[in-house]
Amino acid sequence: MSDSGLRATFVFADSIAREALLPPDLSVLDGAIAQNVPILYQCKSGSCGTCVAQLIDGDAPMREDRATSLLPSEKAQGRRLLCSTHIQSSCTFALDYASDIGTVQAQKVHAFIDKIEFLATDVVRLEVELAEGCWLDFKPGQFIQVTVPGTDKVRRYSMASPPGDLPRIELLIRLLPNGLMSTYVSERAAVDDVLEIEGPFGSFLLREKVRAPHIMIAGGTGLAPMMSMLDVLRTTPGSKPQVLLSFGCATREGLFFHDEIERRQFWLPSLQARISIDRGEPSATVRIGNPVQAITADDVGNPDTVAYLCGPPAMIAAAHDHLCRLGVAPKNIFTEQFVASEAM
Amino acid sequence: MNEAGKIQRRSQADRVNRISDKRANDARTQSLYQPYKDAEWGFVNHWYPALFSEELAEGAIAGIQICGIPILLRRVEGKIFALRDQCAHRGVRLSAKPTCLTKDTISCWYHGFTYDVASGRLATIIGNPDDPLIGTTGITTYPVEEVAGLIFVFVRADEFPDQDIPPLSADLPIRFPENSEKFPHPLWPPTPSLLDEGAVALGIHRTGESNWRIACENGFDNAHILVHKDSPVIHAKDWILPLGIRPTAADCITPIEDDGPKGMMQWLFTDKWEPILENKRLGLKVEGLNSRFYRTSVFLPGVLMVENWPEEHVVQYEWYVPITDDTYEYWEVLVRICKTDAARKSYHDRFETFYRPMCLNGFNDCDLYAREAMQDFYADGYGWDNEQLVDTDVSPITWRKLASRYNRGIAKPGRGVDGSVKASSIRIRRLAEGKKLGYFVEKIDDINTARPSSGGKK
Repeated sequence: MSDSGLRATFVFADSIAREALLPPDLSVLDGAIAQNVPILYQCKSGSCGTCVAQLIDGDAPMREDRATSLLPSEKAQGRRLLCSTHIQSSCTFALDYASDIGTVQAQKVHAFIDKIEFLATDVVRLEVELAEGCWLDFKPGQFIQVTVPGTDKVRRYSMASPPGDLPRIELLIRLLPNGLMSTYVSERAAVDDVLEIEGPFGSFLLREKVRAPHIMIAGGTGLAPMMSMLDVLRTTPGSKPQVLLSFGCATREGLFFHDEIERRQFWLPSLQARISIDRGEPSATVRIGNPVQAITADDVGNPDTVAYLCGPPAMIAAAHDHLCRLGVAPKNIFTEQFVASEAM
Repeated sequence: MNEAGKIQRRSQADRVNRISDKRANDARTQSLYQPYKDAEWGFVNHWYPALFSEELAEGAIAGIQICGIPILLRRVEGKIFALRDQCAHRGVRLSAKPTCLTKDTISCWYHGFTYDVASGRLATIIGNPDDPLIGTTGITTYPVEEVAGLIFVFVRADEFPDQDIPPLSADLPIRFPENSEKFPHPLWPPTPSLLDEGAVALGIHRTGESNWRIACENGFDNAHILVHKDSPVIHAKDWILPLGIRPTAADCITPIEDDGPKGMMQWLFTDKWEPILENKRLGLKVEGLNSRFYRTSVFLPGVLMVENWPEEHVVQYEWYVPITDDTYEYWEVLVRICKTDAARKSYHDRFETFYRPMCLNGFNDCDLYAREAMQDFYADGYGWDNEQLVDTDVSPITWRKLASRYNRGIAKPGRGVDGSVKASSIRIRRLAEGKKLGYFVEKIDDINTARPSSGGKK
């Protein structure tokens, strides 16, 4: 941070204020960018109008040697194009957007149920479509909150579909005895029902452009964010990383998405999958055991291996320990726990 | 809530290309090739033919569109550069009125944004040389290869990294004799390749009005032999074709999934495919079968190889290069190895007098009608659900699966390009002028004179 210059304060619509010391030779915008203040801009030459702000306090004339698209009446009201403004005293500017503008913001939207599919004894796939006029963006791995119809309670579900499928969203719902959402889904939900959803949330995200091998360990419906990530990995331009997905369910009756995983393997030749059930009879494609132990030292040949873990807390803890022991750097392990909140 | 007013369903327009419940029995197979169904605008991050070498003289500039991506080609001192043909400023097609003030730059003729041809970076703005935007932005560049008289472009998504660009050979048909053991061909000599020394490519390209997949599947669909039964070349050569060819063995098609090109080989003229000589119901019988021996294979991103066709020592390649979702550039290219000038001349003569009129036109003109005939059925996406397949369709279905598995990216629907709005005023004007939808950018002949069609008082 520069230690000389005049102080500028930027107040965002969410009341967050950021300060920057601006050297006299830089425009307010260039000074703010240099200090990572999240100002929106495009042309930097006074024409596009994106970097407009409201001068609240101080002396901040716009350059006289440059034509800008700001109308004289706007200037008189205190509007400034920051790319063409130099401050003469400490100043305060107000921006009419929030300070987290660069990040995806949670939205409250409506969605229609398109399909309800019982996949296994305790798993339902719910396909929804955002209603007319609704939109939200998300990154693979993030989740949304769904209000259980007829209640004011919310439940969290990771998107199982990739952002490219929007406005369609797919969720995996684990059915729990007497769970609020479980009861709704199994007894009342119908195609064309409207759900209130809010999102996206969460920092469990696919790291982009990582060429090192990926290990994904998922327990039960913890598979959902992995499916979203797999589809994004598959469709990202460039060569694909090696991906090892280890997915486990308690029993064969509880096992689901076997076919969906096979399909992803077909489409993404660098994907290898191991499917485990805790107990029961093994088969050619299903092993007995837990998905954590399915990963062995042979799978961690590369010290830059990244790992994504999603499932119940005990599984996450065991997987984290196990991967660290096998040589995966703790900073490369990303986790999302789900906690059953289904009790009435 | 971010919607205003009543909560209602989105329009149904974007619901095409999903598996219908009515065909649930097929859902599993169909969903295996969902990526192919999604590839309405083609597969990106692949090598495609863009022009014949002779179509781009020294200093010339041409504008084309592949997979909804506008591309400009320019030859400078023999070397070809390819750039996105859409100015970063406001989307003007640079090739409409080529403006090159130095050998290493190209400028937009509208506002003077000037790009470095090798890197695509914004080098300057003609009338605004100190603008802070300079050096901070640019347009995508596309790798180019020129072989045997053909110019290929690696059509990539903007984010596709340079280090991952595959060699051209990865997107061309397999070569012989290196594959002669794996794919024996006792009935004809080793098939030449574009990449062989002395290879000469001669051919034509033209725009067809159907989706590229419909066109591509036609090329290796063995049941389509019917449309060729009265082709002039068939009669001129006294060939007698069977009524059809149907698969008789589980291994009638071999997928090619090694390193290198990905695709499939059809074992035609072996006992894995049976020629059908009679249809009793219709009282049809073929006597004295005298087929030309040939073999078809197809490779990503959609290049057909017809070995031993139309004559010995010649191979026919075809590409069905997506322009938009309902137009494709149909490339018919013959390759022969010509080691001497005399051989080259004789091949050129044969091409002009026989191959071009009788085969590339003549014979293959039937295919243009055939593809167009299927277009409406698939155009809205429902054809994929409603088609009723038979055993000969093992060829297209195998191809769809392989293409789903090995494509390097699905092109995004064109945005801000020709064809993204089907009935734009410019397209309608061109139609009124009697011009086809096409592959090339229409150049401005004389910017000081209105187009003849724009009228005005005389």
